[in-house]
Amino acid sequence: MKFLHHTFSDLYARQDNWLTRIDVRIKMLYVTLLLSLNVWTKNATVPLFFLFVSFLLLFTIKIPFTAIIRNMSLPIVFAMLIFLVKSLHEGKQVWLSISILGYNLAFRGEGIWSGLHVCSKILGGVSLLMLFSFTTTIGRLCTGLTWFRIPNTVIELLAFMYRYSFLLLDEASTMWTAQKSRLGHVSWKKTIHSLGILGGLLVIRAFDRAERTHDAMCARGYEGGGILTIPLPPWGKKEYISCIGMVLIIPILVYIGNMRLC
Amino acid sequence: MTRKIPVFFLVFLLFFATARTAEAMHITEGILPFQWFVTWFAVSAPFVGIGMYQVKRKKRTIPSYLPMVGLLGAAVFVFSCFPIPVIALSGMATSHPCGTGMSAVLLGPFVSVLVAAIALLIQALFLAHGGLTTLGGNVFSMGILGSFSGYFAFKMAQRCRLPLFWCGFLAGMISDIFTYLGTSLELGLLVINGGGSFVKATTEIFAAFMMTSQGILCLVEGAVVGFVMVFIYKRRPGILLNLGVIKNEAKSMGT
Repeated sequence: MKFLHHTFSDLYARQDNWLTRIDVRIKMLYVTLLLSLNVWTKNATVPLFFLFVSFLLLFTIKIPFTAIIRNMSLPIVFAMLIFLVKSLHEGKQVWLSISILGYNLAFRGEGIWSGLHVCSKILGGVSLLMLFSFTTTIGRLCTGLTWFRIPNTVIELLAFMYRYSFLLLDEASTMWTAQKSRLGHVSWKKTIHSLGILGGLLVIRAFDRAERTHDAMCARGYEGGGILTIPLPPWGKKEYISCIGMVLIIPILVYIGNMRLC
Repeated sequence: MTRKIPVFFLVFLLFFATARTAEAMHITEGILPFQWFVTWFAVSAPFVGIGMYQVKRKKRTIPSYLPMVGLLGAAVFVFSCFPIPVIALSGMATSHPCGTGMSAVLLGPFVSVLVAAIALLIQALFLAHGGLTTLGGNVFSMGILGSFSGYFAFKMAQRCRLPLFWCGFLAGMISDIFTYLGTSLELGLLVINGGGSFVKATTEIFAAFMMTSQGILCLVEGAVVGFVMVFIYKRRPGILLNLGVIKNEAKSMGT
């Protein structure tokens, strides 16, 4: 479970750099529009452009390559699977044929192109998401969501779940280690039983902590309203320029994305 | 003669060749085309809305309800990160449970959908598991199908007066099966555009899930949820009573 602490923290987002300083509303607008464009596009040019630009921007703020690859590993597996399924199942024109264990692997032209297209969309979309998550803290995200009029209940729950996931992860890790040291995972059957106990303890602790947390919140003046978020300043020159940039970039990307290149 | 390789063979091959941790229940960003991205959002939105309404209403009468949902949601989220060794692959791979069956039993199906939606959002943003355009689809399979099937399985088992372990077992197992069925259905629907057979594709993908680590995982998650329920019942039955999981301690089921 320890790997989650490396990938699942907003460690990089808390750094001070030119991307983290960009207004969260602008980042949210960009990500929403570009992700929609990424799934709508009819060729691989636009998603690959997103991938290239995202990587470039992540390198400018010195995000380690290993952190990027760690986040990308699962989507890459999915992309490979989709590519294989599409290239072996779609289309008629056989481009390459290999025989393995009596099976004839026939890679078809249409399938290869279609598979590459979906792969590019996966990589482009995930890189955009990574660019956003590596440069935005959960606090900023909550502030942005409040500005976009997302209901308080959702924002409060999001903040609670994020905050206490780390705490409970730590507790679960400690209990996991304790169980292991007492041979709680010596056999598969015992592992399942130990996991049940661990899950049960987590629920009990969460329940107890909820009461204490509520008392502590009341002591600090919580009356059932939304969580406290930093008030966002009104839009300045930079934000308006970013919006104008978006208005100029989107039609170009729409035009390129609409071209039938293959 | 050219023999086509079935999809499940490819999935099986990839599970062996690549990931030690199989996390196949989330559809990755970029896979769903625009029309399906919009459709799944439209399908999931009312359920999330009702969940939100329920939390808001309960928050007015019980002020500590929201922290409790948040913390239980976090606990279920952490539970869903448990690495479970998959016996079918001789411990070569680990998988992780969905957790929606357990959250549906503890919080109710609609609130569980909301919690699942938020958990999926966190995973999409901070773990790159799932995605934002696939959030609607993932909420449908994991949140809606997982929560409702798990909840109803638990209630049906309770009606049949099964011991608490088996009620939890059925909730965990059935919610897992329905989650994978939902994911298979969503992926199967993609072949319609290409003129392929929806039923064939869905069946192949579902078979692929069940034949690899995920089939065993359904049983394992069931057993773990069963043990969780029994453990809470033995240590703190008041929690299950407060959450309305069991009606009356005196009349409650044997473990």
